[in-house]
Amino acid sequence: MNAQRTINFTLNGLAVTASVAPHHNLIELLQGHFGLTGAREACGQGLCGCCTVLVSGRAVSGCLYLASFVDGAEVTTIEGFDASDQLTPEQEAFIETGAFQCGYCTSGFIIMVSQLLDRHPEPTDNQIKHYLTGNLCRCAAYPEIIEAVKLAGRKRKARDATPVRP
Amino acid sequence: MLMMKAGVFRPAKLVSLRKIESDYTAITVDARGLTIGAMTTLSDIEQSEDVRAHAPLITQTMLTLSNVRVRNVATVGGALAHGDPHMDLPPVLMALDASMTLVGPKGERTLPVADLFTGYYETVLALNELIAFVHVPAQNGKQAAYMKVTTGAVDDWPALGIAVVIVSDADAVRSVRIVASAATDKATRLTSAEAALKGNRIDDKLLKRAAEAAVEEVEFVSDMRGSAPYKRELMRVYVQRAVRAALNESGER
Amino acid sequence: MAPTETPAATTRAGSQIGRSVPRTEGRDKVTGRAEYVHNMRLPGMLVAKIFRSTVAHGLIKSIDTNAAKNVPGVLHVVTIDDVRKLIPNPYYGPAFHDQPILADKKVRFVGEPVAAVLASDPHIAEQAVQLISAEYEELPAVFDEVEALTSNVFVHDELQPAATFADLKHLKGLKNTNLALSFKLRRGDFERAYAGAAHRFEHEFRTQKVLHLPFEPHATIADYKNTGVTLYTASQGPSFVRTEIARLLGWPENRVRIKVPYLGSGYGAKLYIKLEALALALSMIARKPVKLALTMEEMFYQITKHPCTFRIKSGLDNDGRIVARKCEVFWNGGAYADIGPRVTQKAGVTASGPYDIDNVSIDSHALYTNVTPSGALRGFGVPQLVWAYESHTDMIARELKLDPVAFRRKNLMRDGNQHTTSQVLKDAAIEPVMDLVLDRMAWARQLEKGIGVIRRGRGFAIAIKTVTTPTTSVAIVNVSADGSVTLYCSTIDMGQGSNTVLAQIVGEVLNVPAESVRIAQPDTDVTPYDMGTLGSRSTFHMGHAARLAAEEARDKIKQLARDVGEPEGSNIPIAELFKKRYGMQAGNIVGSGTYKPDYVSPAPETGLSPNVTPFWMSSGAGAEVAVDTETGHVEITKLVNVIDCGTAINPKLVETQISGAALMHLGFTMFEKMHFDGGQVTNASLADYKIPGIRDLPGTMENLWVDNFQGNGPFGAKGVGEVATFCVSPAIANAIDDAVGVRLTELPLNPEAVYRALRAKAGNPLDEA
Repeated sequence: MNAQRTINFTLNGLAVTASVAPHHNLIELLQGHFGLTGAREACGQGLCGCCTVLVSGRAVSGCLYLASFVDGAEVTTIEGFDASDQLTPEQEAFIETGAFQCGYCTSGFIIMVSQLLDRHPEPTDNQIKHYLTGNLCRCAAYPEIIEAVKLAGRKRKARDATPVRP
Repeated sequence: MLMMKAGVFRPAKLVSLRKIESDYTAITVDARGLTIGAMTTLSDIEQSEDVRAHAPLITQTMLTLSNVRVRNVATVGGALAHGDPHMDLPPVLMALDASMTLVGPKGERTLPVADLFTGYYETVLALNELIAFVHVPAQNGKQAAYMKVTTGAVDDWPALGIAVVIVSDADAVRSVRIVASAATDKATRLTSAEAALKGNRIDDKLLKRAAEAAVEEVEFVSDMRGSAPYKRELMRVYVQRAVRAALNESGER
Repeated sequence: MAPTETPAATTRAGSQIGRSVPRTEGRDKVTGRAEYVHNMRLPGMLVAKIFRSTVAHGLIKSIDTNAAKNVPGVLHVVTIDDVRKLIPNPYYGPAFHDQPILADKKVRFVGEPVAAVLASDPHIAEQAVQLISAEYEELPAVFDEVEALTSNVFVHDELQPAATFADLKHLKGLKNTNLALSFKLRRGDFERAYAGAAHRFEHEFRTQKVLHLPFEPHATIADYKNTGVTLYTASQGPSFVRTEIARLLGWPENRVRIKVPYLGSGYGAKLYIKLEALALALSMIARKPVKLALTMEEMFYQITKHPCTFRIKSGLDNDGRIVARKCEVFWNGGAYADIGPRVTQKAGVTASGPYDIDNVSIDSHALYTNVTPSGALRGFGVPQLVWAYESHTDMIARELKLDPVAFRRKNLMRDGNQHTTSQVLKDAAIEPVMDLVLDRMAWARQLEKGIGVIRRGRGFAIAIKTVTTPTTSVAIVNVSADGSVTLYCSTIDMGQGSNTVLAQIVGEVLNVPAESVRIAQPDTDVTPYDMGTLGSRSTFHMGHAARLAAEEARDKIKQLARDVGEPEGSNIPIAELFKKRYGMQAGNIVGSGTYKPDYVSPAPETGLSPNVTPFWMSSGAGAEVAVDTETGHVEITKLVNVIDCGTAINPKLVETQISGAALMHLGFTMFEKMHFDGGQVTNASLADYKIPGIRDLPGTMENLWVDNFQGNGPFGAKGVGEVATFCVSPAIANAIDDAVGVRLTELPLNPEAVYRALRAKAGNPLDEA
């Protein structure tokens, strides 16, 4: 019994529509319908963070989030982060500290790190580790990631201190 | 969600409660204590200043409860209704002497969280009953701790959880609730341990006696996180450590 | 010496070698734009889901696919009989052609693929799989590697070595055995020396079944047409895949195209043939592109690390010299050989450790058992060996009251000495590695062990490894008319940074910034032969090939300058040379390079060879631990990892390879384990099979390399990817022994194992589970 329903939502700032089956999860919707593969299903249990997506400002595990639930919501994926072709402080920091290897978990980490810095602009090591327990990296780039979080925090501070030219 | 994905749970119909969500996501405080809407996300509970002020044990427990994304979506009602013996909130809420308002076609009823679990993933909830509110009584200066013992990676389902809420002065333990989880088939109050402590002065000997009483009254479940004999040892050690932690408010492991 | 940004004094290099160039593919990865096969879709593609055996060992009586076929949306349900119509000999494997594309009359492990369903909707395919049923006549099963050697339960009726390997020919047709292959090394006379030794020690060590779990699970999309087949596959070795697929089809290689976009890691899991043969067969049957992509759960039924039992005997004289050593190693290969026989041989070569011992006997056995096949995992068997011999070393030292450092120094192989194989060690910085570990551990200072519930201790370990040899790498460097440079090679960058390092090598030779060198995506229509991205071989082998290709291109540029009449050393931009030659921006200069090191195969009866490896890898680890004596929990407060990598072409990348390898092995050491119930994996998910998270980091960790120059390496460099995996396990077990006086001889070193050992030592053992 696959009654499709039409959902309307905002995706990376644009109003979109899609037809989804009740059992489809958000990753299937993003990859299958919109060709966005930055969020990926790896563990399938919400433990690794590779499928991280922002729904109405909150990070969720896309592989456990039914597609129909985003009806009326604002969805932001990693692809929406450099929408203006400008890397975010977190993305720059990850490159500079080499905070990734194979890259499969990287999208998820970057989204969670931006959420972490929103909440704790100058996080302690403990805060960083506790916030990122839900992001696993089999390549074990954790030490570089911790460095990247701190560097991103400093970059954000510098950016916010610099007046933006009109 | 996990059970549906694994094909273990195959509902014919799935009904979303979103449309009534707004009625069950408030956190309010009054003289009796906290009232938390059952559809409040664990993240909202984690960040609530009211919860931190009135039941800080809950706030601390959230720090190692699964991960941020799960907490952003999971609700306190869901955490209770699932009946999973490994979860962190059931023993904590039981130790805090929390209760729930349940709603069904026949109306409302109140039930202590301590009476919710009947067995492994089993609760007393009728199929047409929902948890609507969770009530946490005013703590009035009670001290508390929750210790979560993992044996694999640091972040894991626990092999044992021990939650303690205690009132004790230099002379005696005035009141105490100790609840164990994960090592048993359901979250379980360690009443013999409580009895051993109540009315007596805390010292090493007393804590050892209470721990001995605790391991005698419980049946341990062997799993890949620990054999029954090992979990028994963990309980013996952690009943003592958890009571000490509550009195020192030094937090979890 | 500590890692530095600038080239070390011994590096004969210009400006690209020794730079910590940021990874060239960084932007794609941080913006989520990197493409991986697991997330790819082709138009008109079908999706395949697999029906797997629930029995560890059995004859297939029947397979009922009717209900599955009748599910609306299902296009095909396939068994081996359907495959055989198109691929007459549907068996594959890098050493033995023993693995059928789908189970053939028999199943040999729980999870073995028995049938496949094709549909355009993966949910429908999955639904149909649930409706397939099979009847098995169950056979007794064998799970343990030592038992398998003498068991009457035979996983295979007959051994089937691949015809391509001369050294395996003698095994063909052997029956009534689970022993796929044995490697033997004999030096001196062990029996006599051991019998005459003043002190004798005998220990047994075991390791558990663990697995790679790359976050991108295995995935292949096969697009078959009569005129040619293209496979998009998550593989570390596209050239090998091409060879095998061509062999299965009876086609020339040039009709088979293998493409690998970004690889979501591998660690050895994505080598040889994994899903490629099945995806190919399904695409041939469906006459459409077919995607076969595993879930994380299915990874537990694909390929794992070799569990290992190592029985080691050492005889010592009264001066603390090891005079005799015997190694009996049993490798649990699982139901299909995969690369197990090579692990058995190659690891067998260093089983006696970095110790100079006159009388050595090594027997290394590859055994078949009824569990998921074991294959290549970062370290290629060496971590299991070092677990045993470095624990053994410390146990001997303790027993004889010898200082563990002095004991090792007395017996250590040094650069210039003969290795057990008789090859002379060259550019092998074993002792400097040990010295640096001890220095960073402040070994000369006493460690405060504590008297309370928490006890502290420390330990260290050292090891060596050879590189799988002989293997070949080919590279092409293409200079375009505007002077921009592209490198074509089939080395797969799966996060280890090979693209960046190779760009640095090419940039060094052509005197251009590494960042300006483009690496083409591996595609066997375009990128030439490479044996595979494995065994720490790429920096050395492909590094040489890329260097040679760049040198040829450079020489051709010089020739072009002469051709167009430019004086020597005129420094005219390359674009100008092309314009002069062709009248416009046109043309290419192409240089190619091939590298294959020399090798002398070990003599079959003695295992000796004067040239068994072009370079030696050495590493050491030191650990400080804090043990909770009431619960057995072990905290790693300090971990020091030291390697010899020759020149660090990219210091930052070297550091992260050391760190990543050590942390992965921390998981294998402390808590990872596949649990079984009669052959069935009971923890096939990340919820129950825990891997290290960010909170599992040691209190402090140092990742260092010694100052060394590999004379025959590209710019003095050699392999880095595996070397930091070797010593983590024994360093920690030695530290636990130091802290609380208990010796664990099996992995993992989880709290319950430590606690039980503490209770046993106190004469008050814990009840059995």
